[in-house]
Amino acid sequence: MVNQLGNYSLYIALLISIFIIIKTSLSFRNSSNVLSGNIFSLISVQSLMVIISFLTLIYAFVTSDFSNETVYNNSHTAKPLFYKISGTWGNHEGSLLLWLLVLTIFLFLFVIDSKNLPQKYRILTLFFQEIIIFGFLLFILFTSNPFANIFPIPSEGTGLNPILQDPALAIHPPILYLGYVGTSIIFSSALGAIISGSINKSWASHIKRWVLISWVFLSIGILLGSIWAYYELGWGGFWFWDPVENVSLMPWLCLTALLHTVFTLEKRGTFQSWAIILSITTFSLSMSGTFLVRSGILNSIHTFANDPSRGVFILCFLFVLIFISIFIYFFYQKTITVDSTKTFLMSKETAVLINNLFMMFFLSVVLIGTVYPIFLEVINNEKISIGPPFYHKLIIPFLIPFLFFMAIGPNIKWIKDKMGKINLKDIFIFIIPIVISYIFVNKFGVSYLLSLPLFIFSLFLFFVTIRDFFGKNINISQKISHFGFSLLILSILLNGVLAKEHSSNMRVGDEIKFLDKIIQFQNIEVIKKQNYQTLIGKFNIVDENNSLSLKPEIRIYDQPQTITSEADISSTIFADNFLVFNIIKNDGFYNVRYQIKPFMIWIWISVLLISLGGILSLKKKNV
Amino acid sequence: MNKMKILLKLIIIFLIFQNFSSAETSQKVDKISKNLRCLICQGQSVYDSQSDFALSMKILIQNKIDEGKNDEQIYDFLKNKYGEWIVYDPEINKNTILLWVLPLILFVFGGILIYRKVSIK
Repeated sequence: MVNQLGNYSLYIALLISIFIIIKTSLSFRNSSNVLSGNIFSLISVQSLMVIISFLTLIYAFVTSDFSNETVYNNSHTAKPLFYKISGTWGNHEGSLLLWLLVLTIFLFLFVIDSKNLPQKYRILTLFFQEIIIFGFLLFILFTSNPFANIFPIPSEGTGLNPILQDPALAIHPPILYLGYVGTSIIFSSALGAIISGSINKSWASHIKRWVLISWVFLSIGILLGSIWAYYELGWGGFWFWDPVENVSLMPWLCLTALLHTVFTLEKRGTFQSWAIILSITTFSLSMSGTFLVRSGILNSIHTFANDPSRGVFILCFLFVLIFISIFIYFFYQKTITVDSTKTFLMSKETAVLINNLFMMFFLSVVLIGTVYPIFLEVINNEKISIGPPFYHKLIIPFLIPFLFFMAIGPNIKWIKDKMGKINLKDIFIFIIPIVISYIFVNKFGVSYLLSLPLFIFSLFLFFVTIRDFFGKNINISQKISHFGFSLLILSILLNGVLAKEHSSNMRVGDEIKFLDKIIQFQNIEVIKKQNYQTLIGKFNIVDENNSLSLKPEIRIYDQPQTITSEADISSTIFADNFLVFNIIKNDGFYNVRYQIKPFMIWIWISVLLISLGGILSLKKKNV
Repeated sequence: MNKMKILLKLIIIFLIFQNFSSAETSQKVDKISKNLRCLICQGQSVYDSQSDFALSMKILIQNKIDEGKNDEQIYDFLKNKYGEWIVYDPEINKNTILLWVLPLILFVFGGILIYRKVSIK
């Protein structure tokens, strides 16, 4: 009964969507460019309908209503309440409903937020956003309906994949989706602005907020996924250049480029066309990301729910949207006031262009690396794998000049700047990193050739941003983000170079010497939890001064039957001690992997700093 | 196929009697196995996986090192045996040349666009 409520709400939302699309296109033709209160209330009702259907699905999960197929396939009565709720979006149907929910809510907020902007532009944006909503509604209702019924009603569900039963992963999808879906508003608004000929400074300062919001959510969403992979998958790695990770990184890179371009557009009124192209590209990347993940084309550890036939729908929808946007771009390009002024070499505009060049390069590496194997297999029937070595070889050499420009770019003035005299202080700030790097390499030895320049230049950025914090009239949000980035590269580098690990097979009572430490395997305890049994291993890491106790777990879930390893991690500001163990077939033996990961926590902190810069920039009113 | 089975059996026997020896060679195993795909897993490297395949693979690499083979020879051996799919670092050949060069071409192309946009004087 309640189940049907959700279903009908979606149909009502679909009808409203059709009505709004017709109404807006009519009002556009009649050039009665007024956004009537009528439409506003329709949008409110539509959002409400989607909210109701989403709540209905949550209700079905919480009450374990197994007459609902989605609930049956992804839940179990023995699951803790928290994971019953998060299970709502831990599957294909539910996650699409979440996409739709965010789409409609964002549109609602957009309409409120854009009151002072030209009516024509608002109507057009509304029109394009409703087309996207319409597409998703069709997709949900006809290929992946979360309210499908099963009869006879099963008495028990099949359960949620246990490695998804985790707090970080419960909130990771909603946050990431807020970022993904935010790009839809940017897309619709860019198309609306180009048709209504209102790509100017005021459009830039309006859309900037949406770009920032999407960017912040996307950054934090990626961070959460990465933290989850670090402690749950038992790799001890945090980024594997896995296709699904890449798919979330691509819109981020594109958004970062757009962010810088929109700032420039807001201040200087240039780069209009480029801002439009980036807006369209960002959304296309978000959509194709959804397609690649959902279609199951990618071979990835993160792929949990997929179905090829659904992929075809998203693919077609994506092509239609891209086709429409390219058509609109070329047809209405003339509305963009041609910007014939040349950019001066020494100007912030050039710095932004250089940023964009690098961002596009990184994007192309990730994009080509992700899709190339798919195409090669189709064309040549040859299977290749593209993993970390490929990305490192292409990205690291370019990261070095990128860091350099990132340090000097923000200090160049808009329009035109003079090549300032290089004073003693600047030389000093460049010499410090070289000296530190030299000492560092001498002490620890670095095997990889490019680590040294990478180290020098990230330290350079580090010191320059610190110096700039004490300057006058500084753009604090930008400084924090850039500082965060230097910290990110530094901590990844140090983490990679200084990491130590030891893997061996141990029995209870065994002791192993590793570096100046002794790893003791003391005992194992078996505990029965709500929906799993857990083996808790008690380990002691003893060195001269102190002893550290770590308790990793092996969980044996019953619904569905799965074994997962939970690492135990002890974090300090200097290093993480990471210990994970696994069952192997030899009687009584466990594979124990102990890792020391220096500066791990700083990787997370630096991404938070980068995002914090975005949040601060959001609060700032046109400075 | 039969040979494979015998090999696998041998590997499993090895697995039981194997004692991981010096830390240095095992570090080398880690390094190599990080660059190998676990063929039966979903997007995990041999190093990260705990599957039987990955475990026997690590022992295979260990043996190759003990035989005195260098990294290059080990990768080549594995590529011959399992195909290009197993290594995460695709070599440059006529199939993959675009993969390596396309991003670089884009970078140069973008650079030229910026050069034309920006006045040098």
